[in-house]
Amino acid sequence: MIERGISQDRMNLLWGLVAVVSLVFVLRLVSLQIIMHAHYREIAERNKTQILPQAAPRGRIYTRDSAAVATNKPSFSLIYFPGAVKSVDDINLMARSLSQRLNIPFDALSAALYKAVKRGAPVRLAENLSLKAMFSLSELKTIYSGIDIIVEARRYYPFGNYLSHVIGYISKMDAAEWAVYGRDKNYGMDARVGKAGLEKMYERNLKGKDGGIYLEVDSRGKLNRILESRKWQPGSDIYLTIDSKIQSAAEEGLKKSNTGKGAVVAIDPRSGAVLAMASMPDYDPNRFVSNSEEKTADNLKELPEFNVAVQGTYPPASIFKIISSIAGLDSGKIDPAETFLCPGYFDAGSRVFKCWDKKGHGKVDFLNGMAKSCDVYYYNLGIKTGPLNIEKYARMFRLGMPTGIPLPDEKSGNVFGPSKRAARKSYWFIGDTLNLSIGQGETLVTPIQLAQLASAVASRGAFWRPYYVDYVMDAEGQTTFKSRPEKISQVELKESTWALIKEGMREVVLEGTGQTVRIDGVEIFGKTGTAQNPHGKDHAWFVAYAQLPGKEPEVAVAVLVEHGEHGASAAVPIAKAVILAALRDRLSGGPDTVKISTSAGEGR
Amino acid sequence: MISTATSGIKKNRMDWLLFFSVLALLTIGTLAIFSSVAVLPNQIRIVRTHLIAIPLGFAVFAVVWRLNYQIFQDQWKFIYGAVLLALVGVLFFGVVDKGSRSWYHLPFFSIQPSEFSRIGLILVIANYLDKRIGKIKEFSVVFGALMLSLPVFLLLIKQPDFSAILITLPIILIMLFAAGANPFHLAVILGYSFISALFPILWTIINLNPELLDSPLVSYFFHLSNFGWSSLTFVFGVGAAAYLLWILSVKLYSNISGVFFGGAALVLILGFFSGVMVEHQMKEYQQKRLEVFLSPESDPRGAGYNLLQARIAIGSGGVLGKGIFSGTQSRLGFIPERHTDFILAVVGEEMGFWGTMLVMGLYVIILSRIRTCANLARDRFGYLVNCGIFGMFMVYFFINSGMLLGLSPVAGVPLPLLSYGGSNLVATLISLGLVQSIYARRYALV
Repeated sequence: MIERGISQDRMNLLWGLVAVVSLVFVLRLVSLQIIMHAHYREIAERNKTQILPQAAPRGRIYTRDSAAVATNKPSFSLIYFPGAVKSVDDINLMARSLSQRLNIPFDALSAALYKAVKRGAPVRLAENLSLKAMFSLSELKTIYSGIDIIVEARRYYPFGNYLSHVIGYISKMDAAEWAVYGRDKNYGMDARVGKAGLEKMYERNLKGKDGGIYLEVDSRGKLNRILESRKWQPGSDIYLTIDSKIQSAAEEGLKKSNTGKGAVVAIDPRSGAVLAMASMPDYDPNRFVSNSEEKTADNLKELPEFNVAVQGTYPPASIFKIISSIAGLDSGKIDPAETFLCPGYFDAGSRVFKCWDKKGHGKVDFLNGMAKSCDVYYYNLGIKTGPLNIEKYARMFRLGMPTGIPLPDEKSGNVFGPSKRAARKSYWFIGDTLNLSIGQGETLVTPIQLAQLASAVASRGAFWRPYYVDYVMDAEGQTTFKSRPEKISQVELKESTWALIKEGMREVVLEGTGQTVRIDGVEIFGKTGTAQNPHGKDHAWFVAYAQLPGKEPEVAVAVLVEHGEHGASAAVPIAKAVILAALRDRLSGGPDTVKISTSAGEGR
Repeated sequence: MISTATSGIKKNRMDWLLFFSVLALLTIGTLAIFSSVAVLPNQIRIVRTHLIAIPLGFAVFAVVWRLNYQIFQDQWKFIYGAVLLALVGVLFFGVVDKGSRSWYHLPFFSIQPSEFSRIGLILVIANYLDKRIGKIKEFSVVFGALMLSLPVFLLLIKQPDFSAILITLPIILIMLFAAGANPFHLAVILGYSFISALFPILWTIINLNPELLDSPLVSYFFHLSNFGWSSLTFVFGVGAAAYLLWILSVKLYSNISGVFFGGAALVLILGFFSGVMVEHQMKEYQQKRLEVFLSPESDPRGAGYNLLQARIAIGSGGVLGKGIFSGTQSRLGFIPERHTDFILAVVGEEMGFWGTMLVMGLYVIILSRIRTCANLARDRFGYLVNCGIFGMFMVYFFINSGMLLGLSPVAGVPLPLLSYGGSNLVATLISLGLVQSIYARRYALV
């Protein structure tokens, strides 16, 4: 080989380099294919499968008489599976032609598409597609890879605004909610959760187990084949104690009232079961099921989420006279036969306090004072009974305390009296006593507190925790939760006090301010109230309970019409409709007689 | 020894180990290609081209093997002319594919002349070095070899075919090295080409990432791409630095020659100037191609996506692989260029560790046989040609496998005998025909 004049050393050196590099390659191969194999196999698996969650139907919500107030209906969604090779131009092109057909702004669509491509996860571009949109989209499906249409269960509230404050609504999660629900594998990023009312409080029960389609997709995200389709499991159904007929009566009554604002709460005095809870203004929870985030934000801004029935606090006004009366009678300071003269005003020395009727009521005894709601009678009663006593009984009847109904943000209202003043190191004046005894001044109550008060009077002192969920039944028909009436406290009064207060409230209906509520064949006990409102027209109150003759009281109701002025004219007809709805099918005379008596009642 | 040798002459006209290794690699490659293109829309065209290229390649292989390779030395001028003509012709009559005008379009298939020009250049350079082997230690020979290949490089840049340059330049340097050139000279050449390529590449990178310009150093560096005061300061700065270093080394009584510092400074400055020239000469489409070459993952998912997918494919194959025609990564399109540059990822996924090891083993056997054939060659020309072909396989092997294993940067370089590519396959088989031809004529006495 010498004749070549070239040494083979250089080739040997290169050969050595090949040996060293090959060795490095082999070591690398061992690391990739043997040591790290499991890791890469998992990534490859994840690469090719995409899970497209299909929202399970949420549990339905039924009223006591089996009306479905929250249910589901099938809805078609436009899905985009992101792929590996999608250029910016492609995405823009796709977004542009989709935005034309879907009526969604281009920016929003392209942003959603970019996000999907970046995350590599499918995204819902539009939900609840119209039939027309579906046709034009199925055309696009063949042009752009990664676009598909799937069917899902979508929340639907068949009666719109009906019972909205109790049901609540669902919407997309915010960051705080994601922090809570995100830990649960059942919740995807775009899952909807309950935001208010039942939907929020029973979120975990209502939410079923989402199903999913496990898809094999290629690098462009184009569906290759369906690997597995996991069936969803619907959420548990909730059965309410609320009766749809009573609820309709309450809602329609409120809507028809002169301002259309206020609240109605009807409770079964035997258990504390809520039969109706209406709050106006209300909203249509269907609005929030929409996909468009902007639209949802708009909706939220003007959302009347305020539940007047448990969150609105008002002076109880004359309704408080029930408490004053009980305090006077039960403490023995007041003899029901004792009369006071009502000249239309009361001279408290430094100031003159007026009766609501300037003409005056003349000589007034207890029953008269209650029936006519004579303020002067109660001024005298208050002074004789003493504010401390009245405050004590107000607390006994759980004013100033939340009722404990399982609804978010219940207000407790306010009780004022000498002991509270003393605790604040302030003074108590005679004027305060007078205001206290007729329910003006600093006392504040919620409608549900007054409904509870009526219920307590009806059941002779039993305080039940109001509840509205009767039972929860899961998809297999198993009852997973059953409410049991819970007695919070029992007020013990003299038998004569109960009898007198009952008689007084009956007198209100028969002879006094609440006569328009009368229904033939039903014994109704009530009290009207007109809460002075320095900011506008007075609020109208009416509380009542009703029983069939010789039976236990079956329904207690509190009606508040905001700015309704006189309780007698604004609130009483609503209460009447509610009581009628509650008792109609058990009235002895049958529906026809009821009708006649109704018109007779209205004739007055 | 002579008697055993003469008895072997007639029997072994062919290095069968090399031949069967090539055949085995081709079989594996064909399986992998068929598997990876099975779901592609243009699979018929790819399979047809591949099935035409194999017999065509072996026919040419047989012809080259039967021919006395010394003909190529005699006809080097003709070869050189043909290479240049083909490369010039493609600029006029070629068709553009993926931004490069490097294809002759024929009725049934396309031909990529740059693949063949590589073999031609190896022959031409082998002849050049054979003639001047006595003066191999002089810089003039190294310089001459580069001047000889310069027209080819310029024509390749014109297309532009950066991957062909990436393969061919190292081959020339390996041939010079194997022929015994002065390592210092090679280092100068390497440094020069490195710098003249580095400057435009860095500028392109800065162009791609404008946020880098916030740094004043980067900003200064970027301004160098236009001749101006900053370039002048750069040239003087380099000169002064080299001079000061030389003074320092003299003061330290070191034996390093001044030529060393002067040469280094000259290389840096010359490299810089040609870098600027290249930058300014580059047309927009060439610039674009360089950008793609530098960051092939210019998709919304961000950097490294393609390479990562290839690595996932190899890793998920495990020891035994997912089975041929069952790789999810390749068949669902997660691996880009799966039948060409990323074919090894398909092998790794579907045939597993043993499959990849087999491919690498066969490559090492092929390299080893080429080296043996070089050592057995009966003349210097044959030896040098074998060195060039050895270098070619080595460079392909290092760059392609290194890229897939995540050990070298991304480059659009195939793996010969495994990847799909008709011209590359035929050219590779021609080179192997040359090796066999040299082997067959090994023992003739001079």
